[in-house]
Amino acid sequence: MKTKLIYLQPTPVRIWHWLNALGIVTLCISGAQIRFPEFISICGNYRSAILLHNTAGIVVALSFSFWFFYYKLVSGNLVDIYVPKVQELSNGLMKQIFFYFYAYFKGAASPFHATPENKFNPMQKSAYLAVMFVIVPLVSLTGIMLLNIGPLRQMLLVIGGLGVVATLHFLLACVLGAFLVTHVYLATLGSTPLAYFKPMWTGWEKVEHHHEHEPPHGAATDNVH
Amino acid sequence: MYADTQLLKKAVIAATVAAACGLTPGTVIAEGPGFAFGNSAAQNAACLKCHADLQKVGDGHQINGADYQHTTHAQFGCRTCHDNVPDSHPDGKNIARTTACVECHTDVAEQYTVSKHSLEAPDCGSCHNPHTAQKSGQVSALEMNAICTNCHNQIKIASTHAQWLPQTDLHLGAITCVTCHTKTEGFVLSIYIARKDIKGSASRPVIADYNYLSEKAAGKEIQELVDTNHDTYISLEELRRFSSNASNKDLYLKAILTPATTSHAFQTSDKSYNCTFCHASGPNATQISKLVLPEKNGSYRHVAIEGGGTLGSLNAIPDFYMMGSTRNTLLNKLGALILAGGLVMPAGHGFMRFLTRKNRKKE
Ligand code: HEM
Repeated sequence: MKTKLIYLQPTPVRIWHWLNALGIVTLCISGAQIRFPEFISICGNYRSAILLHNTAGIVVALSFSFWFFYYKLVSGNLVDIYVPKVQELSNGLMKQIFFYFYAYFKGAASPFHATPENKFNPMQKSAYLAVMFVIVPLVSLTGIMLLNIGPLRQMLLVIGGLGVVATLHFLLACVLGAFLVTHVYLATLGSTPLAYFKPMWTGWEKVEHHHEHEPPHGAATDNVH
Repeated sequence: MYADTQLLKKAVIAATVAAACGLTPGTVIAEGPGFAFGNSAAQNAACLKCHADLQKVGDGHQINGADYQHTTHAQFGCRTCHDNVPDSHPDGKNIARTTACVECHTDVAEQYTVSKHSLEAPDCGSCHNPHTAQKSGQVSALEMNAICTNCHNQIKIASTHAQWLPQTDLHLGAITCVTCHTKTEGFVLSIYIARKDIKGSASRPVIADYNYLSEKAAGKEIQELVDTNHDTYISLEELRRFSSNASNKDLYLKAILTPATTSHAFQTSDKSYNCTFCHASGPNATQISKLVLPEKNGSYRHVAIEGGGTLGSLNAIPDFYMMGSTRNTLLNKLGALILAGGLVMPAGHGFMRFLTRKNRKKE
């Protein structure tokens, strides 16, 4: 089977993604230690866990801004890439779920093919939209509040106090942790386990040369590059 | 606290003193075993006639009558400690004090002598003025710290703590020096009403004084600013309501961790360096919290706050955050559930993926 390479992940996206991944994994581990210091001591003592957590938090917040500015201002396709269209939600989402939870097991190929203009299948789109537009900003924002409770006192009172902020920060971080596990697992569901990882690392994705609207079916021919 | 020492004092007003003080010579003003309770106020007044007046007695001999009156020492009377006032007084000569602090405060002396402080500042007077000294429960946390910062440079304090303590400013403002630096067992979260309209800092909050609060209370007891149902007991709901009440915009509740009982055994316990002592077990380590209110005479009094630990009262103060204080089982279970939710799909899908792996075999 003939294959061709397409440039799927521009360098800034890759830099952001791996910085972000490293940051968030660090945040999950140090955060767990801060909450359960009597059971977890991976990051050294409590103080170093806090220091690491604060630093990683700032790195993630900055890299998030970098991601936003890149997609919004440089490449200019933030909405196209991340916001699902009505049709994608009404039809594509179910199709994709059907694929992952049924057709995949039978050996079928994904009904979706990534292009630089339309990188995500409807499931990815919905998940990434929630994560990048709601969860990550909210965790970062609540984290920044917890770092600056003195100056932000007035604002904190308005939104119900630090108890609310800290609780939100914790629960949303758990959501992010749950996302992370699912995300990494789903990323192994390409034609080969590393198929989705490679473009995130090199930028280039190997795709089969096939005719539009005529996706090959059957694993036997499909996954051979 | 007060040892029943063999203080057998008989003090008789001498002629010269009597003349200066407007009393009859020969009046017995303190006699018998124990202390001169009872009419000490009148006797003190005689001394204070001159000694409250800076012009008459000069610096170093002046006593602030109002401050002195509120001390326990005033109840014993001047003569309990200064009983050898000679006939010639006032003749410009200094009079030795005849009763040392340790004669009453034996346990304090015992604690104190083992610490390094007793070498640097062997005299109780280095830190405490017996003419203004109040019981530990009657002074505010900031006043306690002020005794330390009389000698210990605040910038130095901040910088040495900053070497290991994150959020140094916040910590120094939320914990008294003696909370960590004396041998204390229990802790109390003392909650003060502080001013928001005057710019303090995290480490130097401005605690609202009696006059300010009583003006605010407009004729009512200042306690009623928080204790709205007048039961001399502060519920968490009352704390919450105080914080969200728009008319308290200029005020906020400032929680400071204080020792349950003060000690003069100055030492830094290991647990002070162990953040988790407070932050992981916080709600258990500090089960008691109290609202501390200023009194008209400049001292403070405590009103109990609903039990259930610091956790509740901390969360009832919307802008006070102690890491670890939001840690509760329900929330942890919820978090675990969310994480487990994230694992369900990969685990289930992974299992099916394994069983059907042949279907995806490459040629
Ligand atoms: C060790 C952790 C991680 C690994 C191994 C990983 C792996 C991957 C892979 C292989 C892709 C490319 C496939 C795709 O586009 O779906 C990807 C994309 C993506 N990942 Fe991750 N990821 C990790 C952590 C995270 C975290 C923590 C987040 C967000 C909080 C995240 C958000 C995203 C987003 C938004 C994309 C799409 C990026 C774009 O093309 O604009 N990832 N990840």
